[in-house]
Amino acid sequence: MTRGAVELRAVTKRFGQVEAVSGMDLSVAAGSLTGFIGPNGAGKSTTIRMIMSIIRPDSGTVDVLGADAIAAKDRIGYLPEERGLYRRMRVTEFLCYMAALKGMPAHGLRARVRAWLERVQLPEAERKRCQELSKGQQQKVQFIASVIHEPELIILDEPFSGLDPVNARLLNRLIREIHSTGRTIIFSTHVMHQAEQLCDRIVLINRGRKILDASMQEIRARFDPRVVEAEPLDGDARAADALARVPGVASAHWSPERRAAELALAPGADGQAVMGAAVAAMPLRHVALRRTTLDDVFVELVGEAAPPSEESGNG
Amino acid sequence: MADPKDRGAARRVMAVALREFRHTVLTKGFIFGALVMPVIMFAAFAALGLLLDSKLPPTVGTVAVLDASGSVERHAREELANDRINAVEFDGKRIKETSLPAPPAGAAQPLVPRIDLTLEFPRDPAQEQALRDRIRDGGLLALAIVPPEVLAADPKAADGGAASFTLVVPSGSPPRLTSLIERSVARSIVKARVERAGSDWKSLDALLSVPGTSVRRLSEDGAESEENVVAKTLLPMGFMLLIWVATFTSGNYLLTTTIEEKSSKVMEVVLSAVSPMQLLAGKILGFAAVSVLMVGMYGALGVAGLAFAAMGDLVSPGLLVLMGVYFVMAYAFVAIMMASVGSAVNDLREAQSLVTPAMLVLTVPLMLWLPISEQPNGTLAVVTSFIPPAIPFVMVLRVAASSEPIAAWQVAASIAWGFAWVGVFLWAGAKVFRVGVLMQGKPPTPRELLKWIRMA
Repeated sequence: MTRGAVELRAVTKRFGQVEAVSGMDLSVAAGSLTGFIGPNGAGKSTTIRMIMSIIRPDSGTVDVLGADAIAAKDRIGYLPEERGLYRRMRVTEFLCYMAALKGMPAHGLRARVRAWLERVQLPEAERKRCQELSKGQQQKVQFIASVIHEPELIILDEPFSGLDPVNARLLNRLIREIHSTGRTIIFSTHVMHQAEQLCDRIVLINRGRKILDASMQEIRARFDPRVVEAEPLDGDARAADALARVPGVASAHWSPERRAAELALAPGADGQAVMGAAVAAMPLRHVALRRTTLDDVFVELVGEAAPPSEESGNG
Repeated sequence: MADPKDRGAARRVMAVALREFRHTVLTKGFIFGALVMPVIMFAAFAALGLLLDSKLPPTVGTVAVLDASGSVERHAREELANDRINAVEFDGKRIKETSLPAPPAGAAQPLVPRIDLTLEFPRDPAQEQALRDRIRDGGLLALAIVPPEVLAADPKAADGGAASFTLVVPSGSPPRLTSLIERSVARSIVKARVERAGSDWKSLDALLSVPGTSVRRLSEDGAESEENVVAKTLLPMGFMLLIWVATFTSGNYLLTTTIEEKSSKVMEVVLSAVSPMQLLAGKILGFAAVSVLMVGMYGALGVAGLAFAAMGDLVSPGLLVLMGVYFVMAYAFVAIMMASVGSAVNDLREAQSLVTPAMLVLTVPLMLWLPISEQPNGTLAVVTSFIPPAIPFVMVLRVAASSEPIAAWQVAASIAWGFAWVGVFLWAGAKVFRVGVLMQGKPPTPRELLKWIRMA
């Protein structure tokens, strides 16, 4: 069996009376781009902090890059959710300091910093102090700090929070580029469409437990809603009743938000055939088989209710 | 060959230490506070001397002594002679007035304005009002009215109390000038009395002069040493203050930078690269270098000052080595406390409540400076020198008070006991630091801190 980049075995972490992570078993494949998703307080950040050896599990084992997590620190890049900079340090100095902590030799470091600043479209920040940067610019600098030492494993906790769409797109591209070089990336978010866009594997955590661990392909197959959406040309809600009689449709109901009828397929019914029959039944503006979204999967597995409490301690 | 894991840890610790050192000593605050400020103060004192010397105009005017008997005149002319009164504070030193040396020709000027007096000795009491009018008009600097009874062999006033003379001066008369004239006229009256009694003033003055003292300390082994006020009280205080200021300045920097790292959320970024213990070690090491820089700088200035004052022999190499050992101990106590408190709180206000109890213990040596340096082997000194974290500060006072050597076993015991407590502080402080650096929200109570120590 191939050893994963990150292996967690029966890991548990408590903060006082609260069990932030409970008996977590997890394997992150080398070279994968894995998304940790879950509601606020689910235990994502606590899990990540244990992977980073910032906090120690109460029980269980954490194996990172085939070694003890502390020994692997120089081979890991980490962008924490609660991130900051030394406000009075100059950007170059800060990045050189972080790289030095990660074991980078001083020779050629400044050139590397300059190249990275140009890559994130921030060349003018080189001689600025960190406190002179905007929030978005600071976030780019923090991102550089997490990848400048070319780590084998990169952990990004909510990397897009606070970024405008242009910079979010830039960061998205950079993450893909880095991933394409064979590095393992763990990406934590509670924004489902970001995870859906970037990740090839999803780990859903809720109340300290892993409740889903599958590839996007498997998730789409497993959580296929088997629903056809049909938007009548005249927008009349009574279309739902007419379309309920189409062969292969088990039930139909009208969605006022989408202004479309949602047709649940009967067991064994062919979606393509149902769509054809619906088009024949009445003039339609749009008809499609609904695609599985992580939002739907999340709601189905976690429920729509807000999480009972924020994450305990600092996890 | 060193383990690569250990080398990595050492590299991280050194990187943290180097950053902390550079970002402290290269800040405007440090350069101004620790380097420029003392230079400015020194320059200010020097400038003050120059200002007093060169800018203040000399005091020129007339002093009248109204004495119907005329017996005071000769003595007052002697006492208020310009050469004499200007020599009294020659070179900033008060010289015994009965043995006045004349200022050497071409010598530096005194640091006070020169006084140039003209003396008048009217005898007619009816002139008093006219003389008072001259005071009001600015024509006289002072008027001394000497009544006959003050010159009597048994000087008594009409009411039976001690007889006195009157000195009238303008409302704006400088206190120093008034005091000088008052003392000089009073001495002239005493001299006149002595003369009237048929005695010889010079012999009497010589007989009454208080002799100087040379206190010799004789130890049990028969060694004899001269009592030195500087060595006995000021030197111990100087050494203790040096260590106190250097350790607390660094400790304060350690506290504020740790709080800043927490509040700016950079802590977790750093902890992704170093372990909490490596961060703590790096910080303690970095600020130790800051502390050493300060001790070295001020200590060298102090030793140079002593050497300049021909008291260099008060500081022996052995004493300096002991100072070094106690300095390391003092810094370790202060640094560990400040780092662990800084890690547990969110701002300086919250830190005060946790630092205050320790600060109270550490101010004990400051408050007990005099009794401890007076009696370095007294019960108070011995007991307080075994109370952590005050141990190094009290011991510095004791070993620097050279009049009474401290028993070698006490020095050795204090070092062993002190460093054992440093170990306890480090053990507890590291546990608090490990938990505290990642904690947000309300600061811990002392009970919660104990819980952290147990759980970490």
